[in-house]
Amino acid sequence: MSTAGTHMRESAFTIQCRVVHALILRDVKSRFGGRRLGFTWALIEPLLFISIFIGIFQLIGKTSQGGIPVPLFFVTGFSPFFMFRDVLSQVTACTKGMSPLLMFPQVSRTDVLAATIIVETLIAILVFFILLAGCYALGYTFTIERPLDVLIGLLLLVGLGVGLGLVLGALTIRYDFVSTFSNALLSRPLFLASGLFFTADILPVKARTYALFNPVLHCIENIRSAVFHSFESRFVDLPYVIVTILVLIGFGLIMADFFERSRQ
Amino acid sequence: MIALDNVCKTYGVGHNQHRVLDHITFTFPYRKSIGILGANGAGKSTLIRIIGGAEKPDTGRVIRSSRLSWPMGYAGGFQRTLTGRENARFVARIYGADFRAVEKQTIEFSELGKYFDLPLASYSAGMRSRFAMAVSYALDFDYYLVDEALETGDARLKEKFRQVFKERRQTASVILVSHNEQTIRRNCDVAAVLYGGNLHYYENLDDAFLMYKKILFNKSVA
Repeated sequence: MSTAGTHMRESAFTIQCRVVHALILRDVKSRFGGRRLGFTWALIEPLLFISIFIGIFQLIGKTSQGGIPVPLFFVTGFSPFFMFRDVLSQVTACTKGMSPLLMFPQVSRTDVLAATIIVETLIAILVFFILLAGCYALGYTFTIERPLDVLIGLLLLVGLGVGLGLVLGALTIRYDFVSTFSNALLSRPLFLASGLFFTADILPVKARTYALFNPVLHCIENIRSAVFHSFESRFVDLPYVIVTILVLIGFGLIMADFFERSRQ
Repeated sequence: MIALDNVCKTYGVGHNQHRVLDHITFTFPYRKSIGILGANGAGKSTLIRIIGGAEKPDTGRVIRSSRLSWPMGYAGGFQRTLTGRENARFVARIYGADFRAVEKQTIEFSELGKYFDLPLASYSAGMRSRFAMAVSYALDFDYYLVDEALETGDARLKEKFRQVFKERRQTASVILVSHNEQTIRRNCDVAAVLYGGNLHYYENLDDAFLMYKKILFNKSVA
């Protein structure tokens, strides 16, 4: 009748792994189970955006950007950017909100965060490669030049999403208006300034100087350089991105803990 | 062991600060059932949330080295789009319990029948609380966390879980918060009164109630 009378003392790490595993399964099931759109939507959304902008570029007679065919150019821009955006918004929501899951003593906020980040990242990477494969099937052939660098670019974007998400989420606990600000920041300035529509190379020098403060642009340039033979960015500065991530995550964790303790 | 070490919790900002828990250091007795009495607004629910880890204290820490339940019967942690079975499995997984046993036990306690394989969203409020109670009792804990405010359901159901609770009390520890004398007399061996941000411990239930009544009385005079 009893389910567990003989449990040994487990290490905190074992428990944490078990909890994160349970959370991942739960997350995947509730997203993809039943009649939910789930994965389909994850695929449809970037597809819609990309199609619209391919259409626009077709109308103005542009077939390539920075030496990359337009469909591939947009796939390598939008798909990673959406991953960054989704990780960011999930981490923000998770940091600022009181998840009812926290009522389980075993489940900590870190576990919930880890699980969402893992699920979000894996889905986004899958979507990215499906879209790339789709382009390939449509005749836009390419060989991925440095697969490892693609992965690094993607993971750095995840890092940026996590760092910025922690900072914005922590601030939102105390200051409500931050959430309005973060939505506005994401939907316009970052969307326009992250190299979805341009490469750093084709920008005027002055605009480029400012644009290169945006670490997301560095990641996307890095991903494009790593995928295509025909494109090599001269402006990618990965140490800058890594330092930004570390600073954001560091500050984010400190602020999250601080505001969390004095949560109202 | 479940213990609080110098725990503080303050609500409000600036001049409107209210310290609900004020430097509490307390070890919850092992294999005893402790009732925590407190007037409305004394901080009982805050205390439960801090013990269970849903909220962090301003300062101090909570030591949880035993298998501690979530507040018994709390249904908020379940995913409404998932079925009863899937939710039961999730809980079994986080506690590292055998999920087949947990499923079996939950079906038995909840009497949900075929609804067990339907999403929680399709349950009535009564069914949902029955499910939450059943999963809570499908696992074995060292410490049971009970918030009286969460006890719902019809009389027959209450009686059923009361029986299970009685059995579990023999072998485990219970932390029960309530403002109801009867509930505590029925379920607890010792008691503590949450008053002025502190826990006042009493081996004897009568002493605890004496103190509790004094506080209530003084408050209504003042």
